[in-house]
Amino acid sequence: MKAENVFLKIILGAYLAVFFGYLLGPLIVMSITAFNSPSFPKMTPWECLTFEWFDVLANDTRILNGIENSLIVGVGTVFLSVIMGLAAALLLTQIWPKLRATYYTVVIAPILIPGVVLGISTLVFWDRISVMLGMETGGILHNGIFLTILGQSTFIASYCMLVFVARLQRFDTDLTEAALDLGATHVQAFWKILLPFMKPAIGSAAVLAFLASFENYNTTTFTFGKFPTLTIELAQKVRYGINPSISSLAFIIIVLTIIGALAYEVYRRRQQLALANGAPVGAISSGFQLPRIFRRNPAAVILVLLALGGFSTIWFAQTYSPDVCKMDVREQKRLIQEERIKAIQEKRQLEMQQKQQQGTGVLGGSKSDAPAAQSPGQGAFGNVFKPGNLDKTTTEPKADKPAQSPGKGAFGDVFAPNNLDKTPPKED
Amino acid sequence: MNIARFFRNYFTRNGIGLGTFLLVAVLFWVVVLIILPQLSMLDFSFRHHLPPPEMGGPKDTYTLEHYKYLVLGAPGADTSYNVVDLGVFGRTLLAAFFVTILDLVLCYPLAYYLGQSKGGGFIRVLVLLLIIPYWVNEILRAFAFRIIFGDSGLINEMLLAMGLVDSPIDFIRANVALYAGLGYAYILLMIFPIYNVIESLDRNQIEAARDMGAPWWRIHWRVVIPYAKPGISSGCTMVFMLTAGALAAPQILGGPSSLWFTQIIYQWFNQGGNWPRGAAFAIVLLVTCIIIVLSTMRLFKVRIGDIGK
Amino acid sequence: MTKGVDVDLEDVWIRFGDFVAVREANVNIKGGEFFSFLGPSGCGKTTILRSVSGFLEPSQGKVKIGGKDMAGIGPNKRPTALIFQNLALFPLMKVWENITFSLEVKGIGKAERRKRADELLDMIALPDQGEKLPSELSGGQKQRVAIARALCAEPDVLLLDEPLSALDLKLRQHMRTELREIQQRVGITFIYITHDQGEALTMSDNVAVMRAGIIDQVATGHRIYNDPATPFVASFVGENNVFRGTVKSVDGDMALVSTNRTGELLSRIATSAKGKLKVGDSAMMFIRPEACNIAEDTSPAVNRFSAVVKHEEFEGQIYNVFLEGSEGKEIKMSLVNIGKQRAPAVGNELMLEYEPQQAVVLPAGELASE
Repeated sequence: MKAENVFLKIILGAYLAVFFGYLLGPLIVMSITAFNSPSFPKMTPWECLTFEWFDVLANDTRILNGIENSLIVGVGTVFLSVIMGLAAALLLTQIWPKLRATYYTVVIAPILIPGVVLGISTLVFWDRISVMLGMETGGILHNGIFLTILGQSTFIASYCMLVFVARLQRFDTDLTEAALDLGATHVQAFWKILLPFMKPAIGSAAVLAFLASFENYNTTTFTFGKFPTLTIELAQKVRYGINPSISSLAFIIIVLTIIGALAYEVYRRRQQLALANGAPVGAISSGFQLPRIFRRNPAAVILVLLALGGFSTIWFAQTYSPDVCKMDVREQKRLIQEERIKAIQEKRQLEMQQKQQQGTGVLGGSKSDAPAAQSPGQGAFGNVFKPGNLDKTTTEPKADKPAQSPGKGAFGDVFAPNNLDKTPPKED
Repeated sequence: MNIARFFRNYFTRNGIGLGTFLLVAVLFWVVVLIILPQLSMLDFSFRHHLPPPEMGGPKDTYTLEHYKYLVLGAPGADTSYNVVDLGVFGRTLLAAFFVTILDLVLCYPLAYYLGQSKGGGFIRVLVLLLIIPYWVNEILRAFAFRIIFGDSGLINEMLLAMGLVDSPIDFIRANVALYAGLGYAYILLMIFPIYNVIESLDRNQIEAARDMGAPWWRIHWRVVIPYAKPGISSGCTMVFMLTAGALAAPQILGGPSSLWFTQIIYQWFNQGGNWPRGAAFAIVLLVTCIIIVLSTMRLFKVRIGDIGK
Repeated sequence: MTKGVDVDLEDVWIRFGDFVAVREANVNIKGGEFFSFLGPSGCGKTTILRSVSGFLEPSQGKVKIGGKDMAGIGPNKRPTALIFQNLALFPLMKVWENITFSLEVKGIGKAERRKRADELLDMIALPDQGEKLPSELSGGQKQRVAIARALCAEPDVLLLDEPLSALDLKLRQHMRTELREIQQRVGITFIYITHDQGEALTMSDNVAVMRAGIIDQVATGHRIYNDPATPFVASFVGENNVFRGTVKSVDGDMALVSTNRTGELLSRIATSAKGKLKVGDSAMMFIRPEACNIAEDTSPAVNRFSAVVKHEEFEGQIYNVFLEGSEGKEIKMSLVNIGKQRAPAVGNELMLEYEPQQAVVLPAGELASE
């Protein structure tokens, strides 16, 4: 039995390692390439630690423009999909029972329809409408932002609806009836009871919708027109010319994602703590070793460490210059190059009659002129984080919340349970 | 209960303003965004490829030419069937099928492990780690695989350095990178539906089966898998549809000789400029995928309502 | 506070498709009365309540509040307030906001609402709890907040849908008294729904006992218990030993019943059956366990029968003795624990007797299923 358990654990560990290696490995590799100096993103051979790719990214107007378009599209899509998803979810609970299955199939279908099909059908449909209305090509119905928002909302609204349906299932319809019974109109009951209850779901649906919109490619690639989003720009870069500035963008996104996830985790833990304190156990641990937020909350600790790490990296980036290293690498390469050429020449001399062989020499040659662009400008690095700051809005709905309640939960709640317990006997 | 009564109840329940607003929002979505565009694409796929001035003119009649093209190839071609496009179509579906199976095999154990363990910090960390890659752009994820599998990518450099191979292996041409990237792209959509279902499976059922002396594979075959069936089919459906309809990964990771069917559609739209033909191909893709999914669901007796749970 | 008003159900039928939830209900509830609907779950009592509060319209008949027909008037326009079974406190609002919600929807300013909330919080003995969320309160406190919230709307009729069922026994008993006190203080009509006869009998001025959509009896608690109108009421309210048989002779208020297994027994005829019970009719006779006693005289008589002690249960203030009469007839007897050990030993054959005035006979009918 014991031996079998150990064996199982080893298998499980290996499986988890393989799985998460597959899942996270590519992201780690890509992040590392953002700091390597060769102009084609690669991890090996490691040449020089550099931050120049962040500069390149910060000065890439197409990327910046793409981010701007993505933000506009994202906001529009969030707005449209959240409203449509919420309306659809509310209707699902009320619709004629016989129609419910059909209705559900129709509104869930966009998730299953291939993205390219959605993009094409949106494009074709609005083109037709535009022709029918006799509008000129390039009117609002051909506008890339307009089409992209509609195309994306078609399926993102389904995601939102699923979020809302899940939340609605936990809604107690007695609450609406209670409000009506107390004299509220139907509209008042909706705004004062149902909508506040749906608020967290609206927040998470909005985040989900924004993320889905931000990274959408398949639909957008048909609808973007003159307004390429970030994803479109990235795709074109990846297909036609790659340098590690893309890796640096990926790195920024990954870091922001981790921060967002950790912030959410901190928030969740805090809520749990508040909840635990609300229970009549009234567990007040003796002595405060750490500020309240950090106790039993590794996520918060990691978050703080991460922030410290980030600041020190920025400081380091502003003082560090890879020039010396690059010179060394160039020098080394030159030496290798010379040796190779020498070897080849010797070879040639030895095998004069045979055909010429160049092979690997050429490959090496192309490498040597790599680190051409270089300007580890100091202020520029700060700019890189500007687009990043904009990105943060994605995590804001989640990150904002911790500020709301925990202060109150901290102490009042701890003592409250005792109060509660005492009151009933008093009245007896 | 008749329709009129339903609407009367509906409006008393929601109020006139709110009720109308909800109806309008949903109708806009269902009719203007979902149904009409699909119909218009269907209509478009039966039309001739005409320059804009001739649209609506006498030449604008219905035709099967684009569907014929997909099956028979260009008129006067030397093969009697459109071997290239049909081949790509078949290969896309087959590859999507294998990617789905790959994801299922890869995800089921993890979903089971996560679903049956009693929560705790470690599990939450694992779940977070699962979600993080999904927040990173699809293009960037595909790009990461190019860095790994490229000619001078990580794996080749490592193999070369270890002396296992003399010259770089062309993973791109062999489509290894493509399948790895595709499997990666939608792995979460496989794991979470299964995880959600298994999480609700009473642990006692497994204990009971174990008490009765069932070996682990029989427990899975007789207890866990039948219970998780809605989650499994939901995950498989989504992964299959999304993989067959993927565009980014094939464009970035596909070898020069292997096309994905969506790429052909893309070419008709963006390079060929023949929209009706692109629309016809898109219809074929959509209909085929729907048929495959519906028949699989019928086969495994799963309802559409289970999807997305 | 407003004086309570009458609530009248006139020939109310409520159907859901083919299913008849309420059948021909005719009830007059007097203003300021504490009125209960008592019945097993699924008997239609909640349906009646919902038709009074306005969440559903009767398929036929009229619901009148204060003499006014309520047809077509929505729940938010009726002078009723409902306390839900699960209380339905708004989880995201503070206690005081919950209480004054009815004022908020009328557009009354915050300061005035706050003042009113404090008054009501004082009344329900929860001062200084207004800033809390409902989830931070105990079960009994939530209960009182729900009552305050309903009273804040100044209804003429307060409807209560089994509001005590989620509480534990002690608290439930305490809340009964409290509810009754509140009702007497505010003087409005209370309509109370319960399946717990204890609640119905202790609190109510009048009780309606319901069975499968039909109101079997409307009367005071005393009448319901001592003079049931149907075998269902007799067996649902409290415990009863049932003896089936036929009427052998009728003499004024009394009838001699020839029971199937226990011989001939004498009993009072229930008020509802007076003049209707004829010789030869099949009948059901009911003797309450506490009406049985151990006879000192063991000679046969029309108010005595013998039985063998099978086992006993000790409940504190009473002993429940379970006996077996002739042909396996099960009989339950309750003896008050007056200190001395008087529980009979298991296996003993006893002669039991009862006061014929305390037994009641009715035409045979449906019993409450256990």
